[in-house]
Amino acid sequence: MTAIAILLLAAAIAFGLSKLLRLPAIPLLLLSGAGLNVLAGHAAYKVPQDLISEMIQIGLAVLVFTAGVELSPRRMRGRTRAITILALTQFFMLGACGVLTAGFLGYSWMTALYLGCALSASSTLVVVRHLQQRRQMFEPYGRLVLGVLLLQDIFIILIMVALLKSPQGWLMLCNGVANAVALGIFALGVHRWLVPYIVKRMKLDDEELMLAALAALFAFSTMAHLLDLSFLVGAFFAGFAISAFPMNGLVRGMLGSLSGFFLALFFISAGAFLTLPSLETLGHSLIFIVVLILVTVFLVAIVAEVVGYSSRAAVEAGLLLSQTSEFSLLLALTGVASGQITPELFSMIALITVSTMTLTPLISRESVALRLVKWHPRYRSGEAACEVMQNHAVLLGYGRAGPRTVRALKERGISMVVVDEDAGVIRQLIAQGIPCVQGDGSDVRTLERAHCLEARVVFCSMRRTRDAQLALDYLKDSPVEVIVRVFETFEEDMVRAAGGQPVQTACAAAAQFLEWTEVNLPKVEGA
Amino acid sequence: MHATELTLLLNLGFIVITAAVFAFLGKLVKMPSIVAYIIAGMALGPGLGIVQLDHSLELISELGIALLLFLVGLELSLQKIKDLGRVAMILGGLQVPMTAVGAYAISTLMGFGKMECVFLAATVTFSSTVVVIKLLDQKGATSRLFGRIAISLFLAQDIVVIIGLTILSGLGSGGGESFEMVALTKNLGIAFGGMVLLLLVSLLASRYVLPKPFAWASRSPDTVFIWALCWCFLVVLLAHQFHLSVEIGAFLAGIAIAQLPIHEDLHRRLHPLMTFFVAVFLVTLGIQMDISVLGEVWKYALGLSAFVIIAKPFIVFTILSRLRYSEYTAFQTATASGQVSEFAFILLGLGAGAGLIEARVASLGGMVGILTIAISSYLILYSDLLYGVFQKLGILKFFNAKQEPDTEEVHTHEGHVIVVGMNALGREMVKQLSDRGETVLAIDTDPRKLEGLNCAETLIGSVEYESAVEEIGLGRARLVISALQIEDTNHLLAYRCRSAGVPCAIHAFDISVVEDLLDLDTAYMFMPAFDAVREQLAIFDQTESADRNEEVNPA
Repeated sequence: MTAIAILLLAAAIAFGLSKLLRLPAIPLLLLSGAGLNVLAGHAAYKVPQDLISEMIQIGLAVLVFTAGVELSPRRMRGRTRAITILALTQFFMLGACGVLTAGFLGYSWMTALYLGCALSASSTLVVVRHLQQRRQMFEPYGRLVLGVLLLQDIFIILIMVALLKSPQGWLMLCNGVANAVALGIFALGVHRWLVPYIVKRMKLDDEELMLAALAALFAFSTMAHLLDLSFLVGAFFAGFAISAFPMNGLVRGMLGSLSGFFLALFFISAGAFLTLPSLETLGHSLIFIVVLILVTVFLVAIVAEVVGYSSRAAVEAGLLLSQTSEFSLLLALTGVASGQITPELFSMIALITVSTMTLTPLISRESVALRLVKWHPRYRSGEAACEVMQNHAVLLGYGRAGPRTVRALKERGISMVVVDEDAGVIRQLIAQGIPCVQGDGSDVRTLERAHCLEARVVFCSMRRTRDAQLALDYLKDSPVEVIVRVFETFEEDMVRAAGGQPVQTACAAAAQFLEWTEVNLPKVEGA
Repeated sequence: MHATELTLLLNLGFIVITAAVFAFLGKLVKMPSIVAYIIAGMALGPGLGIVQLDHSLELISELGIALLLFLVGLELSLQKIKDLGRVAMILGGLQVPMTAVGAYAISTLMGFGKMECVFLAATVTFSSTVVVIKLLDQKGATSRLFGRIAISLFLAQDIVVIIGLTILSGLGSGGGESFEMVALTKNLGIAFGGMVLLLLVSLLASRYVLPKPFAWASRSPDTVFIWALCWCFLVVLLAHQFHLSVEIGAFLAGIAIAQLPIHEDLHRRLHPLMTFFVAVFLVTLGIQMDISVLGEVWKYALGLSAFVIIAKPFIVFTILSRLRYSEYTAFQTATASGQVSEFAFILLGLGAGAGLIEARVASLGGMVGILTIAISSYLILYSDLLYGVFQKLGILKFFNAKQEPDTEEVHTHEGHVIVVGMNALGREMVKQLSDRGETVLAIDTDPRKLEGLNCAETLIGSVEYESAVEEIGLGRARLVISALQIEDTNHLLAYRCRSAGVPCAIHAFDISVVEDLLDLDTAYMFMPAFDAVREQLAIFDQTESADRNEEVNPA
């Protein structure tokens, strides 16, 4: 009990720091664990190694299991091609760069392979947290990134099987991968037929659902063991087996509670295994970090745009994927356990993970993406598309609702020009024959190019209200009507004060909804 | 991570799979899950000999007990503690000696020696806090008056058990008689002093130390979750320093957190973790069972079990009737007391280890424990049915208990509108619907987002948890609205609404989620981006028409 309390105290400190410094919790948990290890050398009480090993084992199982639960194929629906192309290109090309860099630095082939694979995977936990904070989980680029992460997890699991089997020769390696694939197919069968049947036929309560999910975890782990595979392969496919809706939704809260506890202790325990890096290791880590960030951002930005995403979304996806994963730690830990890599290499991979995860919130800021977008070779290519216009409508920001506004204006016979920063969006608009200007809608030069002062109306739907205010300042003394979309109540006052007409999305939605309730939800008597 | 090093995972695997199999089989014959878990343990341990109890499993069991009591503490406000302190003292003070004397007499009649009778009496006197809370929780009755009286009685019993264990450890420690008495007095002094100190620490912490950090971290559920666990186990460690049990420490830690606004949400988040650990604990109870002496002691086991199941509830019912509690409350509380505590295993183990009793007696105590826990699980779960039968037979009339129900605050929602997610859209919906005269219940995981919503009832929590869904009365709502921009949660909510036959309106923040929401029979979909376009165009059309009018009819 004392040991658990100490581990939890270390985790509590890490979470507190994570909140204070606005950094992901994982690197701080690992560092907290490492700190615990250092302190243990000077303290009277030391956390037993057995407990740390057990926490790592359970933590690994929970980690891959929860990753599997999120692996529902529904998440990739409608984007399968884009996600597959991006995931394959990014994973294997970055992996190849990692292997080559490791080879160049003098590592053995096996070590280089581990390093390459560890570098290729990005962190689901960090990325999801980041997307949730920015409310972009389900935006097109968020979905793209999530899909890529899911495929990366599958690649890592299969590569882990191959790497662990590689010393036994090609035949055993192929046999191992085939066994893993067979287990995956069995999991698919359970996912498609058994789990929906159970959920539909048996009214299971929370406790029974959790027990069933955990029983699946251990049953699949046992099957993996019988197939001479790591239990982690079984745990991953068990997660996949129950990832069918609504089972995944029903167990998410309960598994979230378990994984919250065990993963915190896992990262603390993994941190306690770290050794102090040498100067050479630090130098090598730095090289790998630079390779990882440069290659990922460059590669993802190009491929994502090629498969149809806007330039900004492509760059944001690249920035967001440029860190190593908790699965990199998993791979390294299994490598250490099998004797294929040294504990020092695990420490180096952990160091890269800690550094890149810590860097993620800093480099994946909106301002960084905007700056990088301006380096785009096709930036401003849409400028020439706008002719001199008068008494027209200007759309500042295209976004999701842009097509609807354009259609409505066309129906009213009003000419228009769309202003958007994104090269990808501008390309689409040019293809559709819609007049457009590429540039920042808050920039006076861009507004001049769109002939805003000669317009009869400006529809402003830019994401940041600060940008809308700059546009309003430019149009302040003109008769042009500016209708600005805002999200919060306080933004309404700001727009009104600047001479615009605010439209709050929530109010607009509520007004529409109340019309529906008049018909479908009769008023309560006496109200 | 070689197979030989995976002992804990293997043991957990056997435990979870066997527990799941027995729970599903048990479900077919309406067997309470507790009984299924214990039988699973008996199959794994004494039956097949697959799992041996080791330090790691004991640790997980201890974690489960600590979490269970922590959660009980989490539900107790200071007012509730004040209300129940008196009844706990009176009930505990009377029930413990009366049961002990009765059990001693029966054991003597069965032919056991004096020391064995003392141990058997101590064994059957106490009820199982863990088992009863688990069952009350399953029934959703932990916050009912009878549930709270039962829990307070068992906590009072725990204090007596601590005194018993302290005395026993004093008896076991070496030295002369005078030294033992000094050590005993000292240990008891430490235990009581520690209990008072811990209570003070908890109350002061709940007032001066915990509120600010927890309020600061309240927007980060993961942080609050780990902090609460850390607080729980630190207080448990502190309790250990004063020779107090894990239960007492965890319970007091829970009381401190119970005074914070986030206690309900924390309770829901911690609940699944506790459920898992307690399930493991219950299976390990079965694993520890020694059935080799069954043939020898079964008559005594049946006799003592009958005493536990009949006499103990009888005593509790009589005392509560005299304390002017209603017949229903007294009956339900009494039913909950009809089993043996898990302390019995520890107590008998210590006795056998110290050579004070025979191993046969320890096995007998264990058997009584398993038997009474199994039977009382059924009795507690079906206590309402049982109460009806007793009422029909007129048995309860002899006790002359109060017939009027006790006043207790039972809060249920009905005919209300639930709004999930207090972003700008959610808050606007709450405002508009309240203005329309609807009874609105707003729910969000972030307490700060719920601030200032005076027109609606609020609840901190996530609809991902079934307990939260039950608490908001989803099945009885007129309409459920989700303003969340979280696809998975929205899907789950729509699914739950469809299952409950309640219409729902969901935020379709992206065109890609529309198809799934239609599949889930969503009654209405919010599309604020499109609604805003409509509004923008309406404003534009109005201005245009006003301009035209001005042109036609200049002032």
